[in-house]
Amino acid sequence: MLLIPCPFCGARSESEFIYGGPVRAARPDPNVVSDADWVDYLTVVPNPLGPVQEHWWHARGCGEWLTIWRDTRTHDIVEAPDEIE
Amino acid sequence: MRYDVTLQRCGLSAVFDLKGAADALRNWAGDMLPPLPDHPNTRTGGGGVELYHIGRKHWLARAPLAQEEVLEAQLKPDACPAEISIVRVSDTLSFFRITGPDASQVMAIACPLDLHETVFGADAVTYSELFGLKALVLRCEGGFECAVEQSFGDMVEDYLTLSCRQKPV
Ligand SMILES: [Zn+2]
Repeated sequence: MLLIPCPFCGARSESEFIYGGPVRAARPDPNVVSDADWVDYLTVVPNPLGPVQEHWWHARGCGEWLTIWRDTRTHDIVEAPDEIE
Repeated sequence: MRYDVTLQRCGLSAVFDLKGAADALRNWAGDMLPPLPDHPNTRTGGGGVELYHIGRKHWLARAPLAQEEVLEAQLKPDACPAEISIVRVSDTLSFFRITGPDASQVMAIACPLDLHETVFGADAVTYSELFGLKALVLRCEGGFECAVEQSFGDMVEDYLTLSCRQKPV
């Protein structure tokens, strides 16, 4: 069970939240990118072995949407990787 | 052995859902309401009305059901400016009271919140879960008050009643 930090409520049980999927790259201009990159954007979901940025919705709480970084190896909530900050 | 608690089904209250910037709400309804609570998940009260700060730019005003029409006439939901929203939601929430020496034990079965008084103080109020259902949780004299969507009222009463029965020995 995760304790997820809500910016409004503070740390709350994972059971109060609904998973909103990984944060995805911004939508590229389909007229500029190659077909392969466009298909990648449409179909490939971020699924790294390590830190992944995710959306979560405090649905059974204050209703806030938030993002966290979670390490898929340990299931721990972690700081954003250095190269992202 | 049974937990030493009293379970009381309180039914409906007059409840108005208030959304918008704090200043805009104060301008429209400041005179009719207690001061808006500043801190997340806290409450204020006065004149028989309680105000719960349950989300960003989001409050609930609650009063005894008998005050509903008076409060509606004061808040004038139909006439409020476009930047705020006032909606009567009295029919949506069914309230329960769990009081007595073991109230926090029963709440620990029902709800994942840390309800220790150093974390969840006298003025605390928040949306959380009760048996997995979205529920409003707050402290009251001698225990806790919670509210769930009213159509779940019978089910939650059953769950709470069962939870009160099964104190480990
Ligand atoms: Zn929250």
